[in-house]
Amino acid sequence: MIDKSTRRDFLKRSAAVATGAMILPQIIPSTAMGMGGKLPPSDRIVMGAIGVGSQGTGNMRTFLEHVKEVQFAAVCDVDSKHADNAKKLVDETNKNTDCRTYGDYREFLEKEKLDAVCIALPDHWHGLIYTAAANKKLDIYGEKPLARTIYDGRAIVSAAKKNNIVWQTGSWQRSGENFRKAVELVRNGRIGKIIRVEVGLPDGGRGVGTPPVMEVPAELNWEMWLGPAPKVPFRGISHWNWRWILDYSGGQLTDWAGHHIDIAQWGLGMERSGPVEISGKGVYPREGLYNVPVEYDFNCKYANGIELRVANSSQLPKKWGGATWFGEKGWINVDRGRLVASDPKILDEVIGENEFHTYKTPTNHWGNFLDCVKSREETIAPVEIAHRSISVGLLGEIAMTTGQKIQWDPVKEEVIGNTIASRLLTRPYRQPWNLPTI
Amino acid sequence: MRKQYLLVLVFAGLVALFNACKMGAEYKALIVTGQNNHNWKASSPILKQVLEQTGLFSADIATSPDNKGDMNTFEPNFSKYDVVVIDYNGKSWSDKTKKAFVDYVSNGGGVVIYHAGDNSFPEWKEYNEIIGLGGWGNRSQKDGPYVYYTNDKMVIDTAAGRGGSHGKRQEFEIRIRNSEHPITKGLPSRWMHGSDECYSELRGPAKNMEILATAMSQKNAGGSGRHEPMLMTISYGKGRIFHTVLGHADAGGGPALECAGFIVTFQRGAEWAASGKVTQKIPYDFPNAAGVSLRAGFKELTLEEDLAKIVNYDITKSTKYFVDLQSRIRNEATTPEALQKFEKLMIKILEDKAATDDAKKLILHEISWMGSDLSIPVINELAKNPQLKDEADFALARLQPAK
Repeated sequence: MIDKSTRRDFLKRSAAVATGAMILPQIIPSTAMGMGGKLPPSDRIVMGAIGVGSQGTGNMRTFLEHVKEVQFAAVCDVDSKHADNAKKLVDETNKNTDCRTYGDYREFLEKEKLDAVCIALPDHWHGLIYTAAANKKLDIYGEKPLARTIYDGRAIVSAAKKNNIVWQTGSWQRSGENFRKAVELVRNGRIGKIIRVEVGLPDGGRGVGTPPVMEVPAELNWEMWLGPAPKVPFRGISHWNWRWILDYSGGQLTDWAGHHIDIAQWGLGMERSGPVEISGKGVYPREGLYNVPVEYDFNCKYANGIELRVANSSQLPKKWGGATWFGEKGWINVDRGRLVASDPKILDEVIGENEFHTYKTPTNHWGNFLDCVKSREETIAPVEIAHRSISVGLLGEIAMTTGQKIQWDPVKEEVIGNTIASRLLTRPYRQPWNLPTI
Repeated sequence: MRKQYLLVLVFAGLVALFNACKMGAEYKALIVTGQNNHNWKASSPILKQVLEQTGLFSADIATSPDNKGDMNTFEPNFSKYDVVVIDYNGKSWSDKTKKAFVDYVSNGGGVVIYHAGDNSFPEWKEYNEIIGLGGWGNRSQKDGPYVYYTNDKMVIDTAAGRGGSHGKRQEFEIRIRNSEHPITKGLPSRWMHGSDECYSELRGPAKNMEILATAMSQKNAGGSGRHEPMLMTISYGKGRIFHTVLGHADAGGGPALECAGFIVTFQRGAEWAASGKVTQKIPYDFPNAAGVSLRAGFKELTLEEDLAKIVNYDITKSTKYFVDLQSRIRNEATTPEALQKFEKLMIKILEDKAATDDAKKLILHEISWMGSDLSIPVINELAKNPQLKDEADFALARLQPAK
């Protein structure tokens, strides 16, 4: 194994050669470091994975398919069964038994010499582990939503920028043809000046009741799973279902903000900014362990007057999921498997050469990350945008929690004139956990 | 001294009485009952109670003779009322009474058809137009189509078959189909209803009828397997009709009537039928998709009652009292003074030696964002308790952020 810094320099050089003069990410030629595997095996990107439950394993499988470019060396999970299963997958691909497993990310980051890491964890762990990996100068494929709080999100962005790492968020809709087409039609005025946007998201989080306290399974390090979140007895709710408990997640709202709100802001050209006023209402379970809103509906105003309504789709007039932009000349709705417009002819419009084009990924979302690890270019879902996408969801959460209309400064990222709402920009960590100061 | 005190009391009493008379209830309601294959003796007083609870209604109960009695003697004066609630399923009324009822509705009277009220009078054409859909009493295709929802679309189905059925009683989810109507505006779009009969396969003229909410009549519980109408509005002449199929009564009421969702939609529907508008706020205990909300005594708890329950908080039993406190804070604490009122009440719980640790943890979490310096001393005190240190630190970190 060659020294890490040397290999990274080599990767950069070969990318520069392969792509020629790169000016803007939008015009990376499709030949650029495609999946052709121009690098010899020893110069593959050495990756590890932290969090290898359902989503983490899914991401890892996709990266493993890029066998000519990627070599996995180690996996880490607080559930040893997850780690063992992931190791098995890696070993099968590598045709050896060398993949190392860890239960503590600190040891994993300390011992492993990696180029990049893919991370898929409950939201309450994002702040600590994303910043720790960034501070180790690892390139990161990190799952959305970027963070559980706006404070954590900004810390992650700062760490990523300071360490000059390549970051790709798991907001894979950005790499989807329908979504990019919708955004291009909207940004190029095909439905006229945009007046308002609706984002319809799923609801959920019903009916688990309050399961009894039970013995923690031998494979699960419950204390480490909780990490900075409040210490609570184990009631059988951990993997995947963490998303229904506010200590770990904001529910479907924050789970999906990194998808449809992300797309909506992209269409508005607001993907690196945010709204200035937020107000809304949530409906909360009155019994049971789950406490995320089962319904939510909030309105955001941007400085240019455009309004964005975010709600579980059953509350919206057409009950549509996805993003719907309403312009002076028509509307466009995009969701997974659907792209429709007020007039179908709008969808046949060709975007001219000199008009706005979205970032084109020559491969898929995961391939785009690998390309950028080599080219050092920005990915299609960079960290700042991930932060701004989830910020909208988190500001909605704050408005619903307080019942107040929130005034927001998207430049300074401060709540204006409202001390109590400002407090909700953070969730203090349980000791001994602390976010490293940047 | 004593005499003076008594005088003051008498005077205060008179003032109160005067105010009560002057303010009065805005609308007069008449609950028509007396014969029913259902427990009308339980339901009618409860309906009266929940109507009067709103402060909008004064309600009378008109009890018919029993089914051996002379129906000619049953002549309620409908025209005196703003809304007539039908909790009746029995012998036909006299032609005179029927005409009086139809005239009352045609001239703009409000009606609430409650549960088996839609079983009545299968032969009476105008009544069936007023209820929109009905069941049993040999209703069939001759009485009109089935109306239900499939794939979020209303279906009018003229297929032959019986009118009226229900599967076994259970809790079921109500789905709002029109959230813009005054009765349903602002309600959760899905909510769990207390164990009840889920009426299905109703048929009728369904003229000038709008479905506000449906429920899936579960096949595995013996139901139709369709999204059946649960809440409807109908217009007849100038009259407004609200039709709720919910609320099967046991002795003492039972879960269908204790359901805050039933009570609140009944109250809102009655106000709308009486006036065409709804001024009532949606209460904090309205159910949602996460579970039913039953009211002991058919009343919403007061803040004091919620707080008394929170003191003994146990996650398996009493989360709702805390959630309702959170809702009160969101909705009522719109000024710093109002917020501080809640903070002081919460500090009392933190100081209460009898309050459970779990209760204090919840309060610490909530006070972390809405509290002030007032809370700091008691939180510092609780931070010395190893059981509460983490939550106390959490609250302090938010209330006193490091500069």
